[in-house]
Amino acid sequence: MSRTTQGAGRSSRIAIAVLGGLCLLAMPTLAQPVAAPSAPSAPTAAPPAEPEGYRLDAYRAPVPATLHGARVLDASAAAELWRKGGVAFVDVLPRPPKPAGLPAGTLWRDQPHSTIPGAMWLPNVGFGALNAETESYFRAGLSAVTSGDVNAPLVIFCQRDCWMSWNAAKRALAYGYTDVSWFPTGVDGWGEAGLPLEAAQPRP
Amino acid sequence: MKRLSLRCSAGTTGAVLAALLSAMPLAGMLASPAAAEAAQADPDRPEATWSSIRGDIFPSAKIADAGNAVRIDAPGRAEDAALVPLTLALELPKDDPRTLKAVTLIIDENPSPVAGRFAFGDGIRTFSLSVRVRVNSYSWVRAVAETSDGALIMTKAYVKAAGGCSAPATKDTAESIAKLGEIRFRSFADSGRAEAQVQIRHPNFSGLQMDEATRGYTPAWFVREVQVKQGAKLIFAMEGGISISEDPTFRFSFTPSAAPVSVRAEDTEGKIFARTFPGNGS
Repeated sequence: MSRTTQGAGRSSRIAIAVLGGLCLLAMPTLAQPVAAPSAPSAPTAAPPAEPEGYRLDAYRAPVPATLHGARVLDASAAAELWRKGGVAFVDVLPRPPKPAGLPAGTLWRDQPHSTIPGAMWLPNVGFGALNAETESYFRAGLSAVTSGDVNAPLVIFCQRDCWMSWNAAKRALAYGYTDVSWFPTGVDGWGEAGLPLEAAQPRP
Repeated sequence: MKRLSLRCSAGTTGAVLAALLSAMPLAGMLASPAAAEAAQADPDRPEATWSSIRGDIFPSAKIADAGNAVRIDAPGRAEDAALVPLTLALELPKDDPRTLKAVTLIIDENPSPVAGRFAFGDGIRTFSLSVRVRVNSYSWVRAVAETSDGALIMTKAYVKAAGGCSAPATKDTAESIAKLGEIRFRSFADSGRAEAQVQIRHPNFSGLQMDEATRGYTPAWFVREVQVKQGAKLIFAMEGGISISEDPTFRFSFTPSAAPVSVRAEDTEGKIFARTFPGNGS
């Protein structure tokens, strides 16, 4: 069984993992937008530049103003597409699955999540690197929500200051989707605009 | 930033851990009932989750306010969500003829809210227990004690911490695996405190931790049962879940005697760890 995630002596790698850990600490607060302890969003700070590749850690942090190859939507632009219809909305808020092998009778309660009505929720596809299983889950989800048409319009989002949506939108572009929009403020911006939200369940 | 300083000082882990543990007060700034009551009305500290899980944990049972009989000492804001120190102080009033059967520790917003149930030996009326837990998002933490007549009494405290269940494995975790099942016992009688501490080396994987190597979730693997006895007498027995921190560590009321102290633990893979120590803790 390869449970050991870091071998002894790989200290730089460990340091990276630890830094990632610090950032990941804040990640589940995505489900709870109020007062995330490590959300460092100074309103006057300029947004960070686009990284070359995917963001690999510190997902809960200010995001770039742009995503190369994608349109960037504010809430009213997203709402316009939503009202128009025929546009696939994809929520990528992460949520760990219930672990296998918990003792019988263990009480389990998934954190409830509300999303844009009609959106497909594909959790965990916005991490910086995906394993093969999550990769194929994302590809299958996108294929289903667009009925297999890579030219179909897609809107990808999660919550404000969430690199997961930036990563996922970038990944959709890499998969060959041609009409990708990124909605950076996500369900937070949507809710603040007085638009409706509905209880979400992840795509199996 | 405690995690960083803790984790990056290779070789001093033991010392740091010891310092951290000795910093866990058994009694101190305990949440006052008045503060708890005032907080109850706070919309930012919702009771909705508790309402939705309460019936599953305590079917159809009435739960009374514990008053001072159960107190929780918790940091209002945790430095490390994966290692939140909690102390439960139980003390039945002097004129109360009942004894304590068990206390259940619940972290409302954790995906597996029951952190652990601790059953006591016979005749216990006062008990103090410290444990370190993972807190996944801002949450009420509750201690529900069960008395010998089957009644339930509860106290709660609000903890601001996030991400504890998913904080990834660290170098310490690798060490915990290398030393899997090592058990330490220490009595603090020498320093004038009627307390002792048991630690079991175990990664206690929550199942919610992303594995940096596989980019998948590390399977849950944790200590599900711990039993600590003094001679033939049970001190406490825990049934634990994924919320108990790595290297499960318990500090508890203890008076040394000639009777040896035995610790038995079993994890979710059925691995059994056991060790017996001299009763004086040396």
